[in-house]
Amino acid sequence: MGEAIVITSGKGGVGKTTTTANIGTALALQGKKVCLVDTDIGLRNLDVVLGLENRIIYDLVDVVEGRCKVHQALIKDKRVDEKLYLLPAAQTTDKNAVTPEQMKNLIDELKRDYDYVLIDCPAGIEQGYRNAVAGADHAIVVTTPEISAVRDADRIIGLLEQENITAPKLVINRIRQHMMKNGDTLDVNEITTHLSIDLLGIITDNEGVIASSNRGEPVVMDPTNKASLGYRNIARRILGESVPLMVIEEEQKGMFSKLKSLFSK
Amino acid sequence: MKKQIVHMKGTKDGFVLRLDDQCAYVELLDELKKKVLEGGIDGKVNVQLDLGYRYCTEEQLQELISIVQETEQLIVSNVHSEVLTVQESNLKMIESQQDTYIGVVRSGQVLRAPGDIVIVGNINPNGRVEAGGNVYVLGKLKGIVHAGVNGKKESIIAASRFEATHIMIADQVEVMSDEQLKAMNQTEMTCAFIGYEGRIAYDQIHVLKNIRPLLNVSKGGS
Repeated sequence: MGEAIVITSGKGGVGKTTTTANIGTALALQGKKVCLVDTDIGLRNLDVVLGLENRIIYDLVDVVEGRCKVHQALIKDKRVDEKLYLLPAAQTTDKNAVTPEQMKNLIDELKRDYDYVLIDCPAGIEQGYRNAVAGADHAIVVTTPEISAVRDADRIIGLLEQENITAPKLVINRIRQHMMKNGDTLDVNEITTHLSIDLLGIITDNEGVIASSNRGEPVVMDPTNKASLGYRNIARRILGESVPLMVIEEEQKGMFSKLKSLFSK
Repeated sequence: MKKQIVHMKGTKDGFVLRLDDQCAYVELLDELKKKVLEGGIDGKVNVQLDLGYRYCTEEQLQELISIVQETEQLIVSNVHSEVLTVQESNLKMIESQQDTYIGVVRSGQVLRAPGDIVIVGNINPNGRVEAGGNVYVLGKLKGIVHAGVNGKKESIIAASRFEATHIMIADQVEVMSDEQLKAMNQTEMTCAFIGYEGRIAYDQIHVLKNIRPLLNVSKGGS
């Protein structure tokens, strides 16, 4: 019996889908059997981020309405062998096509076969959110160091606390080192104390994330990327390891190393 | 001598009409009408009705008041009664009860309490607390607090750190600006209350003892 984790944020555009894809891939790379479920019915894009768009045959609504079996709708990611699967959302209908009870049954069914079921939640706090949370055991709240995202995260944590799930964990995404250092954005400590929940990990803002999403492969596949390291650390923490928080300051390059990097090009 | 059913007495603040609480209600009405029409009063006078141990329904009370005010000389300023229904007493008890909430009041959450409430944790922006009585916050107050929702003007709000966006006490509303928060110069815990001018005022927490001595329920410390 696996665990179901919902990844949510309240506000849109903070990186729920990217986070889901990357944590899922990172867990699969660690040898766990992972199923990603996209509940953003009508505005699906987890499949795009994973580069699996062209392989969709059946979707979540087909499964729920009994037009196909779950295993028929699941798409295997061939890059991570036999470990990573995606259940895509439907694109032609809307969030009211599914009820929370149906979602719960579906997630319970998936939990039997997978170590981790990651549920990508749509933005907002309406039907789509209720569907996504219905079957979850744990929750990860994604926020960015912006006041609007933190407000919405606060709201969503309040709603999650009323659900029958464990205390939500926080991921702070899109950290810009220099802005945080100058005090132009909220810092990690401020956000964590304001929201008063446990911090699961931090991800630095990185062009590589966008580039790799556009190529359809999660950034975790690239072991040299700093955001990738953040996601790998999160995956290890989910697995129960205790990993120290990444140092976010950019290393000050000295004269010598600058020269060295100049010549090594 | 027969006991007077309606007894009129003059005091500093006007007349007191003491109504007998043993006789029949009809008898009382007749007697009251007679007494009121006797007159002999110049100008308008305030009267206090003292019902003693008689229980009057709302309609009966209105009837009594209208009889007294018929002459247009007597104005009922106050009604005093020694009786309290179980319902009223329960309501009083609920209002005087104290609740404790442990945790963060988050954005969009509304916490309601019939009486006083102690919150152990922060009230985050857009979090709202409504209490029939006082609100005490052991944490940062960054949201909205309404004390004395049912109109209890003596209610106060106290917090470890006062950074609220809105403060309401009874029917008074205060929108907190950044300048105001700076001006409060919070080196100590702060409380808000309705001051002498009827507006919301702030001060350090130790002044409460003088402003609202009745809040102090616990005796001792000597």
